[in-house]
Order: sequence, then C-alpha cells, then structure tokens
Amino acid sequence: MPALVQQEAEPQTPVAVAEPTPAVTPVPAPERAAINIIAARWLRLNKEGIRATVIGLISLVAFLIVWHLLTKYRVVFFVRFTNVPSPLAVYDSFTKAIHDPKFLMHVLLSCRRILVGFSLAALVAVPLGLVMGRFKLVHEVIFPVSEVMRPIPAIAWVPMAIMLWPTNEQSIVFITFLGSFFPILVNTLHGMALVDPVLVRAARCLGAGETSIFREVYFPSSLPHIFTGLTVGMGVAWVSLIAAEMISGQYGIGYFTWEAYSLVQYADIALGMIAIGVLGLASSLLIRSVGRLAMPWGRT
Amino acid sequence: MSQIEVKAPKGHVEVRNFALSYETIDGSVEAVTDTQIHVNPGEFVSIVGPSGCGKSTLLNAVAGFLKPTAGTVTVDGVAVNGPSAERGMVFQQYSLFPWKTVRENVEFGLKMRGMVRSQRERAARTLLGLAGLEAFEKHYPERLSGGMKQRVGIVRALATGPKVLLLDEPFGALDAQTRVIMQQILTNMWQRLKISVLFVTHDIDEAIFLSDRVYCMTARPGSIKAEIAIPLERPRQQSMMMSSEFLALRRGLMSLIREESIKAMGGEISELGMQGLNIELHGHSLADVL
Repeated sequence: MPALVQQEAEPQTPVAVAEPTPAVTPVPAPERAAINIIAARWLRLNKEGIRATVIGLISLVAFLIVWHLLTKYRVVFFVRFTNVPSPLAVYDSFTKAIHDPKFLMHVLLSCRRILVGFSLAALVAVPLGLVMGRFKLVHEVIFPVSEVMRPIPAIAWVPMAIMLWPTNEQSIVFITFLGSFFPILVNTLHGMALVDPVLVRAARCLGAGETSIFREVYFPSSLPHIFTGLTVGMGVAWVSLIAAEMISGQYGIGYFTWEAYSLVQYADIALGMIAIGVLGLASSLLIRSVGRLAMPWGRT
Repeated sequence: MSQIEVKAPKGHVEVRNFALSYETIDGSVEAVTDTQIHVNPGEFVSIVGPSGCGKSTLLNAVAGFLKPTAGTVTVDGVAVNGPSAERGMVFQQYSLFPWKTVRENVEFGLKMRGMVRSQRERAARTLLGLAGLEAFEKHYPERLSGGMKQRVGIVRALATGPKVLLLDEPFGALDAQTRVIMQQILTNMWQRLKISVLFVTHDIDEAIFLSDRVYCMTARPGSIKAEIAIPLERPRQQSMMMSSEFLALRRGLMSLIREESIKAMGGEISELGMQGLNIELHGHSLADVL
C-alpha cells in the first residue's frame, strides 16, 4: 500500500508545479493565479498530513461500523457482545449526560484531581531532578530511595494512602501525584545527565558562574526531556486516578464508570471509558503544545 | 565593539615547565611533559602535532579547564586559575547554545557580565555585522551551516573582548572550501582586533597560513619538538600557499610531524609487510600516501 501511494505521488509533483504556470497568462486577474499557486503549494507541502487525516478518519468510521455490527447482531465468538452497548446507545447516553450536572461534576472533579496531583508532582519532581542532576550528594542520598519506591504501582498505594490522609479526596490526589511523580523525576534526571559538557565549558569561558550555568545551560538543555517526563507522567496520572476513583472514590469519572456497571447502565460504562480517553488525550496535547511554546528552538 | 577597541593590546601568555598527567588504574599517564610556550601580545601562534600528542590538553590548561601537574600558566603575569571570559575559546564542535538565537549566543558573555539588554543587543549586532551574519541574528543555530556556526562561535568568543583567543581545531569539521574562507575571516578579525591567538590544529597548511609562529609537538608524552617562525608577509593571500617560501616551510614541518606521527602509530611500518598487503607506495613512505 505505501509503495503504491509513493508511485502515484511522484508523477503528481511535476503536474502540481506545472499547473499554475499556464494559468498566469490567460487569466487577467493575477491575484487569482497567485492564490492558485499558494493553494497548490499548500496542498503539495501538506500532502502527507492530509493523507494521514483522511486515512485516520476512515479508520475511525470503520471502527464505529464494526462496533455497531458486533453489537447489533450480538456476536458471541470467545468474547460476548450480548450486553455491550451499541455506539448509538452510547451516543444517546452522551446527549443525556451533557445536560446532566452530575456527569459534568464527575468530569470536573477528575480534572481537578489531575490538575492538583499532576501540578504538585511537576513542581516537586522537576526541581528535585534538576538539583539531583547538579549536586552529586543530593543524588547519592535521594536516588536509592526513589529507585525502591519507583517500581511500586500507584494503585498499590491505595490502602496506604487511605491510612495516610484524613480525607478520601486527599488520598486520591496523593495517588495521582505519585503516579506522575516518578516519570517526571526520571526523565528530568536523564535530561540532566545528557547535558553536553562542552556547552558547560563554553558557558564557563564566557564568564558564566554556577547559577548562570544552571539557568542558561542545564535547564534549557534538559527541557525536552522534562517535557517527555511531563507527557508520560500525565498518562500515568490518569491511570492512577481512575484506579483510585474506582476503588475509593465517591465522585469522578472513574467512579462514574464503575457505578454504571453496578447500576447495570451499560451504555454509561462505554461513555465513561470514552470520556477518560478523550480527557487523557486532551491533557497530553495540552502538555505537548505548552512544550512547543517553551522550546521554540526545537521547531524544524 | 567599543570595549574591544578601548582595551590595551595585552594578552601575553606564558607557559613554563608545564607538565600534566592523568591518573588511571595503571598509574599516572603523562599527557604533556616539560613544555614551555609563550604568545606575545597580538601574536598568532599555532600548535601542531600528531593526534593524541596533548596539544588540546595544553590549550585546555591555558583556558583554565585543566590544572597543570607541574609548572605555571600565566596571562599578563597573572596565574590562570579556572576559566574566564578574558580567555575566549572556540571549540571544534561549535558548541553554540541550541536554545538561543544567533544573537543571543553572541550576547551571552555580555549578559554574564551584567550588561543591559539594549546595550548588548547593539554590541552583538555590530559584531555579527563584522562577520556578515546580521541577516541570521534571529535564527537558531540548528538552521545554520557548519561555517556559519563556527563564525558565530568565533564572534561569541570575541564579544567579551578577551585578551587571548583560544581555538581548538575550530575548522576541523568543515569542508576544504569553507575552511579556507574561515581562515580568511579569522585572519581579518584578528588583525582588526589585535588580540593574541593560540590555535591548535593538525592541519599544517592552516598553521603556516595563519600563524606568526608555529610550535610542533612530539608524540605522547607531548613536549615542544620545534618552534618555527613564519616570516610570510601580511596580509596573506591564498596564492601564497603556492609560493616556494610557503612550500619550504611546509616541507620542514611535514617531516617533523611525520617522525612523530610514526612514533605515535607505534613505529615504522616494514616495507616487506606492505608488499604483502599489495599497497603500491611508488617510492613514498606510507605517511605520504595516507
């Protein structure tokens, strides 16, 4: 398939170049020709992107159709689609849910927990990683502890969190915090380890002191890895949050999904899942665009 | 610009009884031993030698990144104690800050000195103009060619008005044509700024073309094998590289270095062994052919 497309694309390129050229002479309005040229150029430059978008949309529609057919005919083939809600049923419960303040409250509460837990994790893990990367003693003291704690999944912290924190809300935020903390810390450390020593030397012989080197070299040099950590951390934050909400929550989108199962509202299960997916995706995109703003030099 | 011209043409580098060794598991390894060099104010001095002879080590000691095991390094009578903006350095790997634009890179040293933004912007623009780079001031280094990057590297090192400019094989990563142009640019800037230069290279032509004096180093442990004055008149033109005077200097340096290179490679290669490998030497030694 890709080979076919490539073969098609190659002869297309000269056609697209040639097209606007004859248009210039007969058409009296040169602006139109200019617009045509720009449009043709835009199409040519964004060919790959357009192609990916079109194929992506087709694939999403195909997914919905398959889902629809599987539920419509209640297919039982190893997995049972007997009780699985159809896309239309989910859409129905979605239209109801967006007018339901309770559903919105679940969503908002989850978002708030993510915001607080993740922000705290970023505010602690990034500076800690920077300082650990810069000062050997801090690294030597903290690294062993962090290595022991890191493999413990945030979900395993649920009972401990309930004991540690006076309210349910606090323990859920704590678990979200833990989930995103380690990916951010590890990536920040990694970024600090990869700082080019020649750049540090260059800064030194331009008269930079320790603080300046930290601010002007170590920090910007680590930023790409910090943002990788933030993106990964955000993903893990959602995983941890949903698990915590299902186990110990009273509100939140994870609780909503679990509750739907208990109340035999099957369409709401899928609605909850899709909502979680959309929220996770949106938060990752948000971090990525902040990253692009923070690192204009990375733009190619 | 103004600070640079106001500064008196100082920059007397003096390296005496210098030795530097590294600690390894097998004991200490001498990188450089018993070395004396000096750079007079405003002089352009090169160090050439076989690879691994410690010429970069020596330069890094002058920069203040390495401490000598024995001997002294002084600039204008003051002992070198760590890196400082008074000894500007240009690296082979360009080492521009990728997250700073061309102008911000050039401004860096002035910013470290606490100069206000508007002032350092003006200074950086002037310097970039000198190097023919004003049009690229807002570009990030990633988008520049190797030659442009190194021009920025040189301008950045000069921006703070150092007494000495140290260059560690700065054109080693450039193609031959670009290298020639860069040499010309460096010569122009050096003549304009009247600054002392210590230049490390393994390229003999480059060393002769640029320098007033060339030090030739021995194989490890490195020490000074010879000191050669380059009496070619200035300004130097590309065409001089074909002159008999130039070629004679080149021949002399070549044979000095060849001896050391062979030592560095672990001895002479036997003619018989070469025949076995079926390499035609046409009466030249292997060092020539390579």
